[in-house]
Amino acid sequence: MGQGPSGLPGAGPGRGQGGKQDKDEKKPKKKFEPRPPTRTGRKKRKKGPSAAVRTPQVFPTAKCRLRVLKLERIKDYLLLEEEYIKNQEVFKPREEKDQEERAKMEELRGSPLSVGALEEMIDDNHAIVSSSVGPEYYVNVLSFVNQDLLEPGCFVLLHNKVMSVVGILGDDADPMVSVMKVDKAPLESYADIGGLESQIQEIKEAVELPLTHPELYEDIGIKPPKGVILYGEPGTGKTLLAKAVANQTSASFLRVVGSELIQKYLGDGPKLVRELFRVADEMSPTIVFIDEIDAVGSKRYESNSGGTREIQRTMLELLNQLDGFDERGDVKVIMATNKIESLDPALIRPGRIDRKIEFPLPDIKTKRRIFGIHTGRMTLSDDVDLEVFIMAKDELSGADIKAICTEAGLLALRERRMKVCMDDFVKAKEKALYRKKGNVPEGLYL
Amino acid sequence: MPAPDAQKQAISIKVPAKDPKKPDDGGKPLDKKEEQPQDEKATKGKEKGKREKKVGEPEELSEEDRLLKEGLELAVTRSSDTDPEIQKAAIAHLSREIRSATTSMTSVPKPLKFLRPHYAALVAAYDGCAPGDNRRALADVLSIMAMTTAAPGARDSLRYKLAGNVKELGQWGHEFLRTLAGQIGEEYSARITGEAPAGGEGEAKPEDEEPDVSDLMVLVDEIVPFHLQHNAEAEAVDLLVEVQRLPKLLELPFVDDKNYERVCLYLLRMADYMSDPDDLASMLEVAHRLYRLRGRYVEALRVALRLDRQDEIAELFAECEDGAVRKQMALLLGRHRSSYTHPEDDAINELVGNAALSDHFLALARDLDVMEAKTPEDIYKSHLADSAGFSRRRDAGAPQVDSARANLASTFVNAFVNAGYGQDSLITPEGNSWLYKNKDHGMLSAAASIGMVLLWNVEEGLTQIDKFLYSGEDHIRAGAALAVGIVSSGVRNESDPALALLGEHAEGANAAMRVAAACGLGIAYAGARRTDVMELLVPLVANTDTADMAEVGLAALSLGLVFAGTCDEEVGSALAQRLMESTDTELDQGMARFVSLGLGLLFLNKQEKADAVLEVVKTIAHPIGRFTEVVLESCAYAATGNVLRVQKMLHLCAEHLDEKADYQAAAVLGIALIAMGEDVGTDMALRAFDHLLHYGGLPIRRAVPLALALMHVGNPDYGVVDQLSRLTHDADTEVAQNAIMALGLIAAGTNNSRVAQLLRQLSEFYSREAGPLFVTRIAQGLNHLGKGLMTLHPFHSDRLVLSPVALGGLLAVVFACLDAKNTILDKHHYILYFLACAMQPRMLMAVDEDVKPLSVTVRVGQAVETVGQAGRPKTITGFQTHTTPVLLGVRDRAELATNEYMALGGVLEGVVVLRRNPDADAAAAAAEGST
Repeated sequence: MGQGPSGLPGAGPGRGQGGKQDKDEKKPKKKFEPRPPTRTGRKKRKKGPSAAVRTPQVFPTAKCRLRVLKLERIKDYLLLEEEYIKNQEVFKPREEKDQEERAKMEELRGSPLSVGALEEMIDDNHAIVSSSVGPEYYVNVLSFVNQDLLEPGCFVLLHNKVMSVVGILGDDADPMVSVMKVDKAPLESYADIGGLESQIQEIKEAVELPLTHPELYEDIGIKPPKGVILYGEPGTGKTLLAKAVANQTSASFLRVVGSELIQKYLGDGPKLVRELFRVADEMSPTIVFIDEIDAVGSKRYESNSGGTREIQRTMLELLNQLDGFDERGDVKVIMATNKIESLDPALIRPGRIDRKIEFPLPDIKTKRRIFGIHTGRMTLSDDVDLEVFIMAKDELSGADIKAICTEAGLLALRERRMKVCMDDFVKAKEKALYRKKGNVPEGLYL
Repeated sequence: MPAPDAQKQAISIKVPAKDPKKPDDGGKPLDKKEEQPQDEKATKGKEKGKREKKVGEPEELSEEDRLLKEGLELAVTRSSDTDPEIQKAAIAHLSREIRSATTSMTSVPKPLKFLRPHYAALVAAYDGCAPGDNRRALADVLSIMAMTTAAPGARDSLRYKLAGNVKELGQWGHEFLRTLAGQIGEEYSARITGEAPAGGEGEAKPEDEEPDVSDLMVLVDEIVPFHLQHNAEAEAVDLLVEVQRLPKLLELPFVDDKNYERVCLYLLRMADYMSDPDDLASMLEVAHRLYRLRGRYVEALRVALRLDRQDEIAELFAECEDGAVRKQMALLLGRHRSSYTHPEDDAINELVGNAALSDHFLALARDLDVMEAKTPEDIYKSHLADSAGFSRRRDAGAPQVDSARANLASTFVNAFVNAGYGQDSLITPEGNSWLYKNKDHGMLSAAASIGMVLLWNVEEGLTQIDKFLYSGEDHIRAGAALAVGIVSSGVRNESDPALALLGEHAEGANAAMRVAAACGLGIAYAGARRTDVMELLVPLVANTDTADMAEVGLAALSLGLVFAGTCDEEVGSALAQRLMESTDTELDQGMARFVSLGLGLLFLNKQEKADAVLEVVKTIAHPIGRFTEVVLESCAYAATGNVLRVQKMLHLCAEHLDEKADYQAAAVLGIALIAMGEDVGTDMALRAFDHLLHYGGLPIRRAVPLALALMHVGNPDYGVVDQLSRLTHDADTEVAQNAIMALGLIAAGTNNSRVAQLLRQLSEFYSREAGPLFVTRIAQGLNHLGKGLMTLHPFHSDRLVLSPVALGGLLAVVFACLDAKNTILDKHHYILYFLACAMQPRMLMAVDEDVKPLSVTVRVGQAVETVGQAGRPKTITGFQTHTTPVLLGVRDRAELATNEYMALGGVLEGVVVLRRNPDADAAAAAAEGST
């Protein structure tokens, strides 16, 4: 064969066109053809299981017969699969086969294993890995390794001798984020909220309904809101409402306090925000609740302090995650703050936060309800008349009312009484309000 | 001031009841719970209730709520009053309050909430009410209340509505109508099936054959127009489907210019999922009529093609006056390779006969600047292939495998890549010797490749082929005969050169010539349904003198192609008879299977019409009988998505056999055939194949890659490529070969670089194995089919219509691959040329009303499913703007970017006739005038 010393790669055997090869040698490497990109980055894995495992998406999303028919079709096919697999299992039980395969895989894996970090994917079957001891290797990726999960930076299991990739160490989610997940639902429910009816309704429309009935929004042709911000005086029930949402919903609930996002090292804060939203996306549908958002979300200003700038960068990442280039799926964001006026306008623009829900101080009716809730489980003596407190002109927040009731109870306890009487309430109110006014005697500045 | 203990009591009752209500559907179980305390409350007596109201309510309700509640309660008590006037006023108050209530979706309207405890009282009032206006009005109120209060499944809403006013339903709100529509559907099916009406209807219906549904129809007649007028076309159609009154859509004046398209689209999509062929037909029929009523003849034609109604096509042409629209219709028929001939209009016939197809394709090629001929080496790009495998260079000096095979591969690659261009570097240049670099049967394919290169260009092609027709070498003459067929594939010509030239050879004494002529006729007249072709081919099939089944099989296949999807009795009996009368030795030959396939193609997509022949075939004792049965059935249900048939095929695959399992392979292909063309089914079949690979035996595993390919022809979806690429290294060579072939098919005509790279690696990997290497080369050729300007996808017109001819061509090759060792890797590689039937330029070319090319800007992007969406949703996503002519992928869709022109057909695909938009001209003139 006309295999020149240049080792022209093109002249492999099996082509067999004698005449053509000379021509080839004269003009080697005619055109550069870029190899198709090997997938990189994290994007890929979000899409969940591969097409062979996933059931297809069903359009339209509106409730109609077509949708039912399509879903039924999927069900039919699944039944067929089930039937087929059952038939086959009878013939050759899966466990046996699995075990066989597992044994084979163990054999290929070898032992002991070592751990390395994946540096780069070269093509589908080769990668560069760095082992813990230092040097980097160009190695094979065995075919039983799930390609979809391989991504630069992940940790892999390596064969002890040839260093080929034989497995992946999964779940590299930041432990910080996993802490944020609310596993145990709070005990507060909507019933524990006095008043705030319109607020409850708004938050339900913006947060719960899009997760449970997305088709309603599609029907009318709008995108559901992405997030809401709850603002208002301290003690008006913002966090309480968020707890009630967490209690009520079956979606996963991540809660985080703004100050948690401020980290010691440069870049850690934004990274945490990214992780947070990535985890949220993975576990979607998710509700992310960020309390005291003013810790990171205050207006930007010129500053030389590295700390301030880091906080601002954290906020910028948050901006991007809320409404950036990537589409967020079923992730809804609830934020809460006392000082909405100090927040960066970019953070609360429509599109990022579509609904701003104000929590006012309770009016008389609401106050009555709140008193009702808090005294509902207390034993009150007959002379207690809550109307006096309800009608009083003091600016009582929900938290104040709770404080009054608790204080009254404590006072009664102190005197070893089994009932809380009017007197306790009067004293308790004075005490609570005295504290609230920050020790400034009433009427000093009159 | 109230007594403190009373207050405490009130509070303890109130707190649990204050939980806000969930959205309506989730609320039902919750409601039940709540009813109990309220009932209790009601029984506790009046004074307690009063005190509660005095003490508890002020805390619970705002002033206006209380007023509302009191008003309603008063109205409830008054509604059972004996004075009709008072009663009337009370009922009017109730209905006014209910109607005027607006509320969020997250809670129940207040009036309904307050009225809920009084439902029983109202029912009592209704029962005691004398017939008349009041009774009817009260029934209306009860009807809407029953929506949430009544027990599920009782259909109380409907019962009361029937007793009440059946006019002006719209005023009670959309949600109510939805509920009502649902209940009507249930009631209707209950009455039709004759079961005792659940709950509602007290009196048992007499058992007669036609139950009375006129009362329901009155309601339907009210609801459907309301839905149609309020952008809820889907719901209107759903209701009509449920009560089996779909044709009503045609009579309604409410299906107007604005919403007929949405209605039709919904119908078309829904038709895919109808299990009953009659339902499917009626649905498409309605869509067809709707389009016709609105003068959208091209769309109507699409649906007619989907229905495969020849008579409708003629009617449409008779009905349509507009010359340009007729041209567009003719072009669509040409794309479909329809056999329709207009009795008078020759211009139409010319378009249907694809006379200008070659010109259009060449215009496209010139526009995209790809006229220059490509050599096979340009496709193999072997200089790139070696990059990964330095470890293998050590065997570079190994002896070369079978250069004849390599040359043959180059012949095919050259033919596929330069198909339709009229020029190449191997075979057409004057005085070249390529033909003689092939041996024996290789020469046949080499000669035939001229036909491929000159595809669709009959006149030029015949002059070039002519000289070979009189060659001394048998194989060359046979190849030339095949070339004649290929050249005129899908193109009609008045003088019928193919028939004239091939006719004598088909009857001749030379066996090789007979085979080639039979194939040529099949390719040339695929879908033409010509009896003169049949008369030539039937004797070949029936010929029992020769023991060579190749001739019989390929003639049968050609017959199947020519009469694809016609159920022609004569052909059917000829083929079935041949199968029954053949000896076992004949049937044992692999080529006998093409007789089965021919039979299958004859009944393509004809569903139960194949049943009779199916029974006949069952009598064949030879294993091929079983095979034929499966092929016939899967062809008959091709692209129907019929789950029951898929189930049957899966059952066949579930059997455990070691030998004589040919039919299992056919069953695997059958699953793909049945599921193709319908997205949900295709995706789900993918999963099924996964299991088949996991559990199935060898025959099944071998067929799976081909089945995957069949479902994704011309659509190299990432996941499928990935799966196939895994199979290309399978331990079983045939699985690997089929997977390679499948890669070629799914990437056909896309120039897909990912597949190209995979194939290059494979060519390296299999460099010393003749079979897989040959197949890899073919796959490479297919990937660059027509230099990426053609497709093999058998569906067209927005993936709505299946072209039986294209599918037939594909199936011929796929079935050949099932037994590759004896077909394409042996002497019958020319079967690959059957792909010519499926080849089509994947272009969008705009032409004016005289079919002269136009250059307009279009947006091309991924198609988006828009059925049942609100507003005017985008039909494409991620689009780019191009000027025509432009290439379209399988999942692409185009729309016009200018409003200077209007398209006469709805779907922009293939050749589209455009008309200048008079509005745009007027607007331009106006703009000019103002400046």
